[in-house]
Amino acid sequence: MQQFDVKRIIQTSPVAHAQPRASAKWEVINDMDTAVEYESAAVEEARKKVLGVADVSCLSRYGVKGPNATQWLLERGIAIPTTPNSWTLCEQKTLVLRLGSSEFLIEDQLGGTACSRLASDTARVASVYKVPRADAAFIVSGSGALNMLSELCSLDLREKSLAAKDLIMTQVAGISATVIRQTLNGEQTYRIWCDGTYGPYMWEVLTEIATEFGGGAVGLSKYQN
Amino acid sequence: MIFRTPKQAGEWVNRTKKVSFTFEGEEFSAFEGDTISSALWAAGQKVLGRSFKYHRTRGVLSLANHDVNVMVTDGMDTNIRGDVVEVKDGMKLLAVNTSGSVKNDKNSYIDSISPLLPVGFYYKAFHTPRRLFPFWENVIRKAAGLGVVNFDYPRILKRKTHSHCDVLVIGAGPTGLTAALTAAGAGLEVTIVDENAHLGGSLGYNRAGDTSLVSQLDGLLTKVASLPNIKVMAGAYAAGYYPDHLIPVVSDSGINKVRAKSVVVACGAFEQPPVFRYNDLPGVMLGSAAQRLVYRYAVKPFNNGIVVTANDYGYRVAIDLLQAGVKIVALVDMRSAGSVANSAELAKRGVKVYTGHCVYEALASSDKSGVRGAVICVYDEKQNNALTDNKFTLECDGIAMSAGWAPAAALLYQAGTGMQFDYNVEQFVPSRLPNGMFAAGKVNGVYELEQRLQDGVRAANDAIRHLGLQAPQNEAVKHVGSLPSHPYPMVPHPKGKNFVDFDEDIQIKDFVNAAKEGFDNIELMKRFTTVGMGPSQGKHSNMNAIRILAKIRQLPVEKIGTTTSRPFFHPTPIGHLGGRGFHSHRLTSLHDWHQANGAVFTDIGAWKRAAYYPAAGQSKEDAIQTEALAVRKTAGMIDGSSFGKIEIHGPDAALFLERFFTGVYTDQKVGSCRYVMLLDEAGVVIDDGIASRLADDLFYISIGTSNAAAVYREMQRSQQIWLLNIGLVNVTGAFGALNIAGPAAREILSTLTDLDLSYESLPMSSVRESQVAGVQTRMIRVAFVADNGYELHAPMGQMPHLWNALIEAGKKHGLRPFGSDTQRLLRLEMGHVMPGVDTDGLTNPFEIGAEWAISMNKPYFIGQRSLAILTKRSLRKQLVPFTLAENYKGEMPLDCNLVVDGRAILGRVTSISYSKYLDRCIGFAYVSPAQKAVGSTFQIRVDSGTLVTATVVKSPFIKTLKGA
Repeated sequence: MQQFDVKRIIQTSPVAHAQPRASAKWEVINDMDTAVEYESAAVEEARKKVLGVADVSCLSRYGVKGPNATQWLLERGIAIPTTPNSWTLCEQKTLVLRLGSSEFLIEDQLGGTACSRLASDTARVASVYKVPRADAAFIVSGSGALNMLSELCSLDLREKSLAAKDLIMTQVAGISATVIRQTLNGEQTYRIWCDGTYGPYMWEVLTEIATEFGGGAVGLSKYQN
Repeated sequence: MIFRTPKQAGEWVNRTKKVSFTFEGEEFSAFEGDTISSALWAAGQKVLGRSFKYHRTRGVLSLANHDVNVMVTDGMDTNIRGDVVEVKDGMKLLAVNTSGSVKNDKNSYIDSISPLLPVGFYYKAFHTPRRLFPFWENVIRKAAGLGVVNFDYPRILKRKTHSHCDVLVIGAGPTGLTAALTAAGAGLEVTIVDENAHLGGSLGYNRAGDTSLVSQLDGLLTKVASLPNIKVMAGAYAAGYYPDHLIPVVSDSGINKVRAKSVVVACGAFEQPPVFRYNDLPGVMLGSAAQRLVYRYAVKPFNNGIVVTANDYGYRVAIDLLQAGVKIVALVDMRSAGSVANSAELAKRGVKVYTGHCVYEALASSDKSGVRGAVICVYDEKQNNALTDNKFTLECDGIAMSAGWAPAAALLYQAGTGMQFDYNVEQFVPSRLPNGMFAAGKVNGVYELEQRLQDGVRAANDAIRHLGLQAPQNEAVKHVGSLPSHPYPMVPHPKGKNFVDFDEDIQIKDFVNAAKEGFDNIELMKRFTTVGMGPSQGKHSNMNAIRILAKIRQLPVEKIGTTTSRPFFHPTPIGHLGGRGFHSHRLTSLHDWHQANGAVFTDIGAWKRAAYYPAAGQSKEDAIQTEALAVRKTAGMIDGSSFGKIEIHGPDAALFLERFFTGVYTDQKVGSCRYVMLLDEAGVVIDDGIASRLADDLFYISIGTSNAAAVYREMQRSQQIWLLNIGLVNVTGAFGALNIAGPAAREILSTLTDLDLSYESLPMSSVRESQVAGVQTRMIRVAFVADNGYELHAPMGQMPHLWNALIEAGKKHGLRPFGSDTQRLLRLEMGHVMPGVDTDGLTNPFEIGAEWAISMNKPYFIGQRSLAILTKRSLRKQLVPFTLAENYKGEMPLDCNLVVDGRAILGRVTSISYSKYLDRCIGFAYVSPAQKAVGSTFQIRVDSGTLVTATVVKSPFIKTLKGA
């Protein structure tokens, strides 16, 4: 039997199909081939101010649900948002999104270890169900962000309606998505997650509008230090 | 610019910027800010368009797009509404609906034969002889419609956006502005919408010479501009009302869907024309149109005019015309009482007032391009008759008309507002408003300026309280003063041509004739006469039509009622409705591989799936047969990542499946798979798939691509009801899947896994969790496309690695990919029925021979009750496998061709294909149950009408025909 090293299986960003293979700079992050730079730093900085879109699908994620999921996470040192449809940060800036009363999405930022720690715990526990994640994930920022989202989402995503720790599960560009507002490096951003199989479509929509506004694709490094 | 007046306070034109354009090939100049209509009128151009039916000359009527007299084409763009669209430098305008030119329209002869063309004539005239109908259809199609569709029109993106506010104020006249200021003053977030380029509404032009109104408007606008919590949307119209206060606002740039917490409707009212002979001539216009010309565009409507009125408003119009330098020959008041105070005021200014008189007819100039005079006579208000004994003629070059108003209540109607007819204002007014909706101003039956301002405050305070804040509860404002609208401003004339609807050339006699035909209900009359069915949707005609019908039927107006108001408020371009056009689609992680290997893709549900992989120059049919042969002779592999994939966790998982599907699962062994079939409550087959038991408390369900989302939703809904101890996890997007099948499949697979793949260890319908090529997979033994098939389910991101490893390992075995079109042939050869292909929205499991998959002994499953009823009934159709004759070379039947017996339809073909492997045409078809026996024959009627004989056989075809 032919032997394979599972650790050497490199995945590709679910968004990759819609991204420029030749012109972008690609790096393997968290075992995922990811476009990290599309244009020069100056161009990307300029785009980011107007309307930048970054693919952050490569960030590690862990999903869990079930009546005992809250307890299970607490026992593993994960901070839990107090109410459904809200989010919080725990150690290493790991995002903890509470998608419902008993469903969670944990997302490490670069260098975070919470997800791999949770994934290594393979023991099956009653009423705790692992939710495999294969999300396409995006960061959107810039002065035109709300304008763009006003075309993609019927809900009010302004600060007065989408509070700092609010999370909404809604339709963005006609598909199911999870949206939060987050301040990253002092900058107001929107974080969007959708099913990875919709990733190329979502990327095309986001970057099409961003380009119309004078923005465009921005590398991951512009948001993750 | 022969009709341009000296500068008017508050005018909308910018005299420092001139624009040049052509109309019907003639050069014109105008000022920036002019509309097409105002620019042409200022230049003395009176004939601006032709009417739809009779091709009569038309000029300005409302100057507000409440009529469509002026519709023009500018190069590619057509049906531009001249009254409200700003003229631009370089425009090359042509009037629509003319043959020749607007001045010399070859179709104007139709006007002279109009007695032969009453409303509805075409309903009756062209039915017989039937052979001539195509000819008449062609003639009518050419005559109907306005403008010419340009098929080269480019796609211009019009964005559809969303916005939100506390209070949406519709209409920025004095009422709306006051309401907006009041609501904003309470700290609320206000959006105010107005279709005009500038705010102010009638406060900008209804002046009666009072220049203080200009500063009053300026004051309001300054306040609005100073408040950051008021968002102004000018040049944009609220196009409709949808539940929960969703109002699409249409502007040139696109549609903004405003979601408001409350809505104040201050849309005002449409001025309604009095109806007299030749009231449609160029130069005969509504009083408010004349005022708009004067104050918005600094254009004199005419030089020597008559004002005909049936309310006090006409007196205000007369004063404004005098201010603009128009000589008023006379004011003709249809009311016998007239207005003493206003008459005196006009008399002081030398205007002769005729009370109790009417314009019996307008007199056309010799070329019908304008007015040369008017015949005046006494009007009997009680009988609504013109008394012509002492009629006389006054010379003039224009007539301004004021007879009353109709509320611009479209959005109120759409929101479900109860309306009642208020005789104090002779108008329908809101009597019961939906929660969160408020009406103010003219639309609410309030006409005097001070009262409208109060009403705006009152409505805003109501909205503020509705939103839970403190605000005064003001008294409802009631109209005081004379009637703003005349109850019946119609002047009969034996020769007709007294127009009610200018869009459709509908005269009073048309209503009388419609009623005689029996169309005497307002909705029927609308459809028979087409009143209100033109582009202006009855804005200037519906109220008069209601009054006429009420008189015909001798009923009060409120007994006639109104027609249904539907979005959109104005005609809206398709491009606006289309917006960006979001076409969401899902790609598997193998999409790039398929693309690189020449796949032709097909849409299945939301997914793009590889349908087949043609070699260079290979036809689709050949590619499919080649791929299918590979599966039969060596091995093939398909990307099945689009299958629905759902995990059901928990101690009640098996119980959940037993309730949800038709089979039995509580005794299913871990490591085994069972067929699942989902019905709806009516017993109709919805979907099918495989349930793999991975643990006592974990099932993995794989189901069809198209229904996956709906099945998962139904599972969630069922769980909400049943409250079992389970957890549902939809892993459709997280897991990919492939199916490797064919004689060599096991050998290929065995090079990549240490799992024992022997038939004894891994028999049909078993599942194992194992590594394949280093990837953790769920391996399912299935026989969907071939007896020796393996479905491998693995994390979506690792599918490319798994797929490539198998392709590489299968090279020496002749492994090749196959697509979803090939899969359909392969499963047909295997005799598998596909829900959605071989079933429809009425098919029950007995009709497809799926009794074996049903356990009626269970306490409950979805659809069980219906099946219990169905078992007592005889079947009406039966799905059977069939073949065509050996070496059949005739016309190939297609999916959905009918199974017939003479003229009787017995069923239809659901799947049919030629199988190169079997060298036979095989398929499924619904037939009469009497024909289901093996060996029975039936007839398929192909597209050409030929009958093709088919024979019922046993399936799987592969066994019947090949003994495989």
